[in-house]
Amino acid sequence: MDPKWNEDLPIYRQLRDRVVAMMLEGVLNDGDALPSVRNVAAEYRLNPLTVLKGYQELVDEGLVEKKRGRGMFVTEGARKQLLKDERRRFIDKEWPLVVATIKRLRLNVDELLKEIGEPKSSAGSKEELQGD
Amino acid sequence: MTSLVSARNVTKNYGSVKAVDNVSFEIEKGRIMGLIGPNGAGKTTLLKALLGLTDCQGSLSVLGLDPFRQRKELMQNICFIADVAVLPRWIRVNQLLDFLQTIHPRFSRSRVDELLARTKIRPKAKVRELSKGMVTQLHLSIITAIDAKLLVLDEPTIGLDIIFRKEFYANLLNDYFDEERTIIITTHQVEEIENLLSDVMFINDGRIVLDASMEDLPGQFVELMTSGENADTARHLNPIYERDVFGQKVLTFEGVGRDKLSGLGELRTPDLADLFVAKIKGAGA
Repeated sequence: MDPKWNEDLPIYRQLRDRVVAMMLEGVLNDGDALPSVRNVAAEYRLNPLTVLKGYQELVDEGLVEKKRGRGMFVTEGARKQLLKDERRRFIDKEWPLVVATIKRLRLNVDELLKEIGEPKSSAGSKEELQGD
Repeated sequence: MTSLVSARNVTKNYGSVKAVDNVSFEIEKGRIMGLIGPNGAGKTTLLKALLGLTDCQGSLSVLGLDPFRQRKELMQNICFIADVAVLPRWIRVNQLLDFLQTIHPRFSRSRVDELLARTKIRPKAKVRELSKGMVTQLHLSIITAIDAKLLVLDEPTIGLDIIFRKEFYANLLNDYFDEERTIIITTHQVEEIENLLSDVMFINDGRIVLDASMEDLPGQFVELMTSGENADTARHLNPIYERDVFGQKVLTFEGVGRDKLSGLGELRTPDLADLFVAKIKGAGA
């Protein structure tokens, strides 16, 4: 299966985002091995340097660590760190845009909240918050 | 000296026609270089010169050797897949492998057997009984089993179906390529190899019109999608090419900062196919 790359963002960055998404979704957990650079390059037909650069981003962010001769692994506590960072990023970057859209479209905030306010999802987020 | 290939003022004439016209470039090891040009641009002539299959003027060094004069030594360390099938059609696969084992010092029989075991190619089959895709598969397996430092691919996937093409590149990366090895590849299917490349070279009328690392392209080139007055303003910044898309104007710029264009419309980095058209057609306009 071929991923669709978005033209506006360098591929290494999208690769980084994809791994991050997998961590947030719990597909990759703390201590798990990342697929090898060679495998990812072959699978997606990417230059191995591109894959390496994406992985290096994750290393620089402390989410992934290199173990000599064994490859790349998800750092202990990476998921927790990530949730914290992603929440911050959402509130700083995305939320103002959402608010602007809500205002522009004159949406009813109460109705919107009612729609997402299912007991299941709020319980889930409460549990995540306690995790901090 | 990290350059694996070094060309200085290389020229090749066929009678009065300049197939390659005074080109200079370097290719470092561990890179995947895409050589892209229209038909008759001089790609194959340039590859032939690199492989020592043709003499040329100027100075050319491949793995520190003169390809034309030291061809025998060079051949131990480079491999080539041509756009035309070169494997003899009458030979059986195992006969071919036996033969290679006796003539090529760096050919690993066990490696090729291992690679072929993953395919549907039977050792007893004759080359002419194999499909076009399987011949390419066989060729790539042989080349992967040779511990060569440079691999030259001239339209390697031409005429192959999409499954074989994808598999070809996946195998190339999985089994052949590493940071000690270098690949030079020509193809018309630019989209297919775009993300695979570390460097790209455009050639037209025997001349190099672009030689850049893929990483540098976003800094060098930008496309602006715009219309009306903004398009007029942008035209003063000397775009190299302009085209229409859904009634909008798309202007390609070289060496113009994104900051200068950001207020005028939507910006993006052109993909290789668009850039190719802009460079080749833009130059002729």
